[in-house]
Amino acid sequence: MNRNPTLKIYTIAYLIFLYAPIILLPLFAFNDSKVIAFPLQGFTTNWFAEMWADQQLFVAFRNSLLIAVTSSIFATILGIFAARASTRYKFPGKGGILGLIMLPMVLPEMIFAMALLVVLVAVGVPLSLFTIILGHVLLCTPFAMAILTSAFQSLDRSLEEAAYDLGETPASTFRLIILPLVMPGIISSLLICFTISLDEFIISYFLGGNQTVLSVYIFGQFRFPAKVPAVMALGFILVCVSICLLTIAEYFRRRGIAKTGGKDTGGFL
Amino acid sequence: MTFSAEKPNMIEFRDVHKYYGDYHALRGINATIKAGEFFSLLGPSGCGKTTLLRTIAGFEDISSGVVLIDSKDMANVPANVRPTNMVFQSYAIFPHLTVEENVGFGLRKDPRSKDEKAKAVAEALEMVGLKGYGKRAAHALSGGQRQRVALARALILKPKVLLLDEPLSALDKKMREQMQVELIKLQRQVGITFILVTHDQEEALVMSDRIAVMFEGQIAQLADPETLYRRPASRKVADFIGTMNFAPAAVLSEDASGVEVDAQGFGRMTLSPDQVMGGATSEGNTIGLRPETLTILFDGQNATDREVFGTVEEVVYYGDMTYYDVRLDGAAEPLRLSMRNVPGRPVLDIGAKARLGWSPSAAVLFR
Amino acid sequence: MEQGSKKGRFGGSEAANGLLLISPTAIYATLLLAAPLFAVVVYSLMVDSKAGLAGGLTFQNYIEVWTGRIDRALMLRSLTVSAMVTLVTVLLAYPVAYFVSFHIRQDRKSLWLFLITIPFWTSYLIRVFLWKVILGYNGVINSGLMSLGIIGEPLTIINYSIGSMIMTLAHAYAAFAILPIFVSLEKIDRSLLEAGQDLGESKLRTFWRVTLPLSMPGVIAAVLIVFIPTIGDYVTPELIGGGKLPMIANRIEAVMLKQNDKALGSAIAMTAMAIVALVSVAFLLLNKRFLKGQK
Repeated sequence: MNRNPTLKIYTIAYLIFLYAPIILLPLFAFNDSKVIAFPLQGFTTNWFAEMWADQQLFVAFRNSLLIAVTSSIFATILGIFAARASTRYKFPGKGGILGLIMLPMVLPEMIFAMALLVVLVAVGVPLSLFTIILGHVLLCTPFAMAILTSAFQSLDRSLEEAAYDLGETPASTFRLIILPLVMPGIISSLLICFTISLDEFIISYFLGGNQTVLSVYIFGQFRFPAKVPAVMALGFILVCVSICLLTIAEYFRRRGIAKTGGKDTGGFL
Repeated sequence: MTFSAEKPNMIEFRDVHKYYGDYHALRGINATIKAGEFFSLLGPSGCGKTTLLRTIAGFEDISSGVVLIDSKDMANVPANVRPTNMVFQSYAIFPHLTVEENVGFGLRKDPRSKDEKAKAVAEALEMVGLKGYGKRAAHALSGGQRQRVALARALILKPKVLLLDEPLSALDKKMREQMQVELIKLQRQVGITFILVTHDQEEALVMSDRIAVMFEGQIAQLADPETLYRRPASRKVADFIGTMNFAPAAVLSEDASGVEVDAQGFGRMTLSPDQVMGGATSEGNTIGLRPETLTILFDGQNATDREVFGTVEEVVYYGDMTYYDVRLDGAAEPLRLSMRNVPGRPVLDIGAKARLGWSPSAAVLFR
Repeated sequence: MEQGSKKGRFGGSEAANGLLLISPTAIYATLLLAAPLFAVVVYSLMVDSKAGLAGGLTFQNYIEVWTGRIDRALMLRSLTVSAMVTLVTVLLAYPVAYFVSFHIRQDRKSLWLFLITIPFWTSYLIRVFLWKVILGYNGVINSGLMSLGIIGEPLTIINYSIGSMIMTLAHAYAAFAILPIFVSLEKIDRSLLEAGQDLGESKLRTFWRVTLPLSMPGVIAAVLIVFIPTIGDYVTPELIGGGKLPMIANRIEAVMLKQNDKALGSAIAMTAMAIVALVSVAFLLLNKRFLKGQK
């Protein structure tokens, strides 16, 4: 197929552009210098030790984990409801309701973070990890819904009818047929919502009150050049974790396709 | 097989209507399906045949009327407790389960022991010719195998009625013909009522004891295959089932013994009352003759009944058969007829004069 | 539907079942998204003074936004930056999507997409910061070039500039642009391209007359997906711009939280949202034109 190498060379150059910053991460994470600059000064693992010793980081990490786990579960549950309703039923106002649910995907985050902040403050809800979760569920639900909608869509409606025809109730049909078939979608949704929540900055920054989460911690560290190498070490670990999670998500997505006998068209979202 | 009146009714439709919003999908269905019958719902797409099947299964609510299964009113009886099982058009084989698990799916609440259930599953698989396939993954099966799994899965529950929604439409021609024969055998073996939805008239004729031909939400004719073919109730039914030649006809006289008509190109004839149908179009009265009831007479052959003359307008050679369009002297439209290519029989050319043998007893009148 | 649908096929009418099922998600979105947005609209029509928000609906804040020099300048800068980012990202992404869709074997495609999406799933903050590391005064490029002796003084044009912000954002949203374009290219029936060439067009002309128009829905989706979040980006101006090149999101934060003028801040937010909505609608209408005649 490759009659013309220009396109291939261009694509590889583009991939290098995409990976350039990430390749720097391990370089500076193991570089024995307080200054992030070339030439490199030799190998060290001090930055990982420094990072490890940072109590604040532990608190932030624990908070982030709590938020990401909770948000991804709630967003996926809300996504299941919405995806099932949108693929299975016709009801009045469907377009408007789905539009509202999907809105956070296309709304500048700052705007709805501020809107949420203003209302929470006005209502008197104290800012905490809980308010971050509220925001993250809102932000993640559209992504969960997008993933789950495609999972529910690939379900042949007659499978449900067949189970019903063979004597199952709607509830047991959901448990025996629908749930196992959309399970790969649910797992993908959980992983992607988890990643989005972990990475999210604006909502965490403005709705967290005095509670720190990982992204806010990282943002804060950037103000102190001396702390940057430790952040590089942290970033390197995060990249590795992300790649692992993505690989798992991709595995489940493919398995889901194989299960339903579909064709692999590739890609997330 | 023939069905006598003493066979009990398995399914009864009484003035069944179904609306989707403003769309009137079923327009007053009245029909009775006997126990043990192989019954087909035949019609073009959108005629309501699948909707009617789904009202039996319980997947479709009816807007008014009554559906009885085994003399019980099915209103408020949900699909999962009706004594019917369905083979879906897409087969609806659960892709995450094995063949065995698919076939045994409906036995989950069955009080029998695990071993007995496994035995039932094995028997069902053997019945549909899939012995030894139990452990296979369902998504790895071919179309024909899926179909068999779907059949086994439905029959294992011993339903009173098996519903088949265009089960053969996804198969290739050869497989389809093979499955037709197998389905007929299977039905005789289990002896329960089969109701088949199909748009393929040939399939319906081959397989069914009786057929309901549906157009636009109504049953146009309900009869056994032979009656349907030889005595179609209307021009529309005649056109849908096979090919029929039509010729304009004028009614000359009519009494209890029959109707005397003068048909364009064929001349005068008297038709008995059972040859007189309704269903004429605005074009007026017509007579209808199937292509195979018209024969080209070659030199030395004499008509068994009547003879007419015409000109060959089109010849299509099919190997075993030759199709001719012949215009009778004095007729406006040519007739389509087919001749078997037996050894020594010539194929006529376009423009040749042809002598046709036919019989009024094969004709029907639409008025 | 008629009386028969009262009990529905699986119990309960279809519409009622659908509404019931979607209600948890819909209620959540209403309480935490629709209501706050509505509150912001109301706030934007009030006056915020030291004494607190005062009633009486007024367009004073909007007049201030549209006539105020800072707000207008920042709005314009945000629009310019996000328009440039969108242009650069989509132009750079198209050939990549095209390559993966047309020149990669079917079973390898998802691997390539996986490779493309990996950088995108690593911490956004760290990625942005790494661009600062690359482009900064003592950054990778400057220190690299200096140690090689190519330049004697660090280049200053590459750090803290609009250009470096565009570069950073174009990198951040690359995957967002590639995926929708790829999907629309995948949908194109390959025989259409053969038909184009069969009808006497060169490969290039076939691309121009068949492939490009058919992939326009993906391109427009990419434009929207990149344009909307970049106009409201907060992190890049803070980190790359060094706080010296704020955009509208930074302005909203400053007015709302630092100046504590919720009314004016709301008006800025609403104006930004209106502009985003306007641009989106324009592109969606454009998309409709391209979708005409397609399914």
